[in-house]
Amino acid sequence: MSNEIKADKTLDLKGLPCPMPVVKISKGIKEVEVGQVVEAVTTDPGSLTDFPAWARTNGHEIIDTVQGDKEITFYIKRIV
Amino acid sequence: MEENLREKLLKAFEGKLTKTIAMYLETCSRCGICTTSCHVFNSMPRPEYSPAARAEVVRRLYKKYFKLQGKFWPSLGEAKPLDDTALDDLDRAAYSCTGCRRCMTFCPFGIDTQQIMSIAKLILVAAHAEPEILSMLADVSISKGESIDLIKQGFIDGLERLEGEVVEKWKIDAEKIPIPTEVQEADILYVALAGAHSIIPSAAIFNAACENWTLSFFEAVNFGAFVGDPGKTRLIMDRIINEANRLNVKEVCICECGTAFRVLKQMSGKQSFKISSITEVHARYIREKRIKLEKNRFKGIITYHDPCQIARNAGIMDEPRYIIKHLTDNFTDLSKKPEENWCCGGGGGLVAMGQDSHDFRMKSSKVKADQVKATHASILVTACENCHSQLSDLNKYYKMGVEVKFLSSMVADSLI
Ligand code: SF4
Ligand code: SF4
Repeated sequence: MSNEIKADKTLDLKGLPCPMPVVKISKGIKEVEVGQVVEAVTTDPGSLTDFPAWARTNGHEIIDTVQGDKEITFYIKRIV
Repeated sequence: MEENLREKLLKAFEGKLTKTIAMYLETCSRCGICTTSCHVFNSMPRPEYSPAARAEVVRRLYKKYFKLQGKFWPSLGEAKPLDDTALDDLDRAAYSCTGCRRCMTFCPFGIDTQQIMSIAKLILVAAHAEPEILSMLADVSISKGESIDLIKQGFIDGLERLEGEVVEKWKIDAEKIPIPTEVQEADILYVALAGAHSIIPSAAIFNAACENWTLSFFEAVNFGAFVGDPGKTRLIMDRIINEANRLNVKEVCICECGTAFRVLKQMSGKQSFKISSITEVHARYIREKRIKLEKNRFKGIITYHDPCQIARNAGIMDEPRYIIKHLTDNFTDLSKKPEENWCCGGGGGLVAMGQDSHDFRMKSSKVKADQVKATHASILVTACENCHSQLSDLNKYYKMGVEVKFLSSMVADSLI
């Protein structure tokens, strides 16, 4: 599915200390328009629970999560 | 400020006004001894950055609204109303204090400025004037607790990616799981942070010690405590307590996160399990000969930064030094007494505020950078994520010339 998703912004969140991945995605999502998509690449296993919780709390939608060998890529649509 | 908002804020203040806090608010003699004990004042000598001046912002409100008539009042400060200007003052005072409590160790009356600042933070929360980012992080943690069953499979899948790196550090039998989760009756529930660096070294060490352990689904850090919201602090803490009780574990081991450890250890009340910091657990493994370390694998002078929340505020000072003694012959302390170590300057939620607090964090921690430079160390090791982030920023800003490392990663890399 990710092949079909066009990201409007990409955030490299690999290897960041706590809580920077969530801090940066919160700022990054505000830099795109409602309806646009942010691609966020992390290496944190915790982001697999943090990002869905963040999206739910802040009213955004994770449209796809791709787990690669080393990286995890989230595609997040700004809803509000 | 509208009258009903003021009433709401004063109610919040009153709710936190314990006898101890009232004593702190009534006792200050303005002797000024604490002034130079604060890293912020020492690095940026402005009157408003002395601990007593910070406390005065809350004390003025106390004097206006809560002081009992006729009570002895030694302070010279005046009473001030709670209005929008007071809210700005509370914000400036609270978010320029890292809660390190170094001032308390010097104050002849043991006045705890961090506790007084917790009132400032509480009023800000009640006024919805707290730093948005800290509340958002706390809400994410709470939401995670409410929906963990929906999201935990993703986390378990994510852990599989780390298994190779864990086994690279310490080989285990092929049938064993390198990062176990959901182990009923485990001896240890390990509560890590989101990052792989908080999981991989610790997992290797648990496996080397043949520990019966299990990894928590939650992150240890408590953003409710950073923002000073007691309700959120409790909800975040309860996620871990409920998980520990569900699995019926004997011990909860908190990763290298100072606030997480102090909050759970000192604020969770009586529990059926023991609460330990990872540093205590590693020291125990060495003492009981469950793990063995190669000495002097790391070259050059090594110094240790005591995280305030683990050392001064929770008493864990011997254990890290005991571990380091097994890692090097070349250790030098940062200060004569560990309890008088300077704060890194990143506590109280400042690091989590990221770039917004960067300039203040750097300028207010010059004394820390000078202290590190004076050791001529090549490795600066610590046992707290928050301190590690702040020290890494200071290293760049002040060109300290050290490598900032986590104690657990040095232990994992020295396993033999
Ligand atoms: S707790 Fe630390 S930062 Fe806060 S006033 Fe005291 S010494 Fe300064
Ligand atoms: S040392 Fe204690 S009594 Fe003296 S000014 Fe500071 S807080 Fe007040």
